[in-house]
Amino acid sequence: MINDLNLEEKTDEELVNIILENQNTFSCVVNRYKDKLLRYIRRISSSNLEDAEDILQNIFIKVYLNLNEFDGSLKFSSWIYRIAHNEVIDNYRKKKARPQLIDIDIKDSQIKELAGDTNIIEEISRLELKQNISAAIDELDLKYQEIIILKYIEEKDYQEISDIIKKPLGTVASRMNKAKAELKKILVNKSSH
Amino acid sequence: MENNNLGDKILETIKEHRIKPKGRWYFLLKNYLIWLAGALALLAAGASLSVMIYFFQYNDFGMRREINKSLAEMLILTMPYLWLIFLGIFVFIIYYNLKHTKTGYRYQIWFIMMSAVLASIFLGGLFSLAGWGEKLDEVLEEKTPFYGQVMNPHLDFWSNPEEGRLVGVVDSFSEDGNLNLVDKDRTKWTINISEEDMKMPIIMGQPIRILGEKESKSTFKAKKILPMMPGRGFFKHVGPRAGMKSGREINNNMVPPPRMNDSRMKKDF
Repeated sequence: MINDLNLEEKTDEELVNIILENQNTFSCVVNRYKDKLLRYIRRISSSNLEDAEDILQNIFIKVYLNLNEFDGSLKFSSWIYRIAHNEVIDNYRKKKARPQLIDIDIKDSQIKELAGDTNIIEEISRLELKQNISAAIDELDLKYQEIIILKYIEEKDYQEISDIIKKPLGTVASRMNKAKAELKKILVNKSSH
Repeated sequence: MENNNLGDKILETIKEHRIKPKGRWYFLLKNYLIWLAGALALLAAGASLSVMIYFFQYNDFGMRREINKSLAEMLILTMPYLWLIFLGIFVFIIYYNLKHTKTGYRYQIWFIMMSAVLASIFLGGLFSLAGWGEKLDEVLEEKTPFYGQVMNPHLDFWSNPEEGRLVGVVDSFSEDGNLNLVDKDRTKWTINISEEDMKMPIIMGQPIRILGEKESKSTFKAKKILPMMPGRGFFKHVGPRAGMKSGREINNNMVPPPRMNDSRMKKDF
């Protein structure tokens, strides 16, 4: 029998094969991804913690149901984030309400990178960037909001974002540019008021 | 829900509802079906295009002076609009299926659309070279009741005696050397061929197009007689109700053609 220590050392891809043999080991995937996904869900949805956990549970059940779909042609983390993305979008459509950002927990390094990429340091250098960026992301369209979160908060590269939202790399890049331009506009507006 | 116990709770749910991962065959089948649907749509797009190529081969642009129409008018009147719409639908289905393959999302819309269009053109060209466009048009004309009127603009374009165009099937030859024709509405016409200048042998039961002039309600003076190409299958419907030979008999008369010395069946001019 495979012990927990062994499972922790396994890659995601190896773990999938083990889970298909022994469903009890699925909790290892849950433990590995639950915190990341819960943060991601809360960042792009209007759900409170309880609702977000319900969404998370649905995500993991879908992951389990569709384990055989994963074939290693993309990263497991991209695949699981894609399921999370779809579940959040489905949930959003059911509620027909625009997701609202709930107090994004952004690291200083992420703020620095995002601020640098949008050239907003000079314009709003005296503002408390962290609070403003969180509020500004909240004002973005969902498609821009999500791409900013995936890149700067979840720290995914373009290929991973492309695999998660199922859009071509070119679309990801152009959407990212538009998102940054929008974000900058919102932040500059905020600083001038 | 305690986040720490989430793994246990999910496992409990999975066990309680006896949830099992879908089999690999399910995803393989889904993927194959997407490709199969795309391939079928590609075949259909190629077939549509080959019929359109066949129509364009015989749209008589070179005769527009005799027909008294401009190139634009000819294009508008002979454009196979419904085939174009079908082609668009099939190309969209190809695009949709390619987009929904496992890695289809990685490609830009224009790339997938261009690939679908180019593949359709390539396949349509091949089908056309093999003569499948002509065969498909004929089979559809013969087997489907409204195809001729709806899908093939050539029939309507050539069924306009007021403007000097008449299409129909050769019913019989009269004693005075003229011929009798039944048009697509099963109206009988006497065709005066005294001024007609052509070398084409005319076979009874053969669908033909005539350029000329309407003389009366049922007589038409021919200036030029041409074989009917797109739409000729339609006239296999016309025969029996017009009191002519049956479609099968007409077909038998046409393939193979009657012997050259059979004066009852054929006239050379």
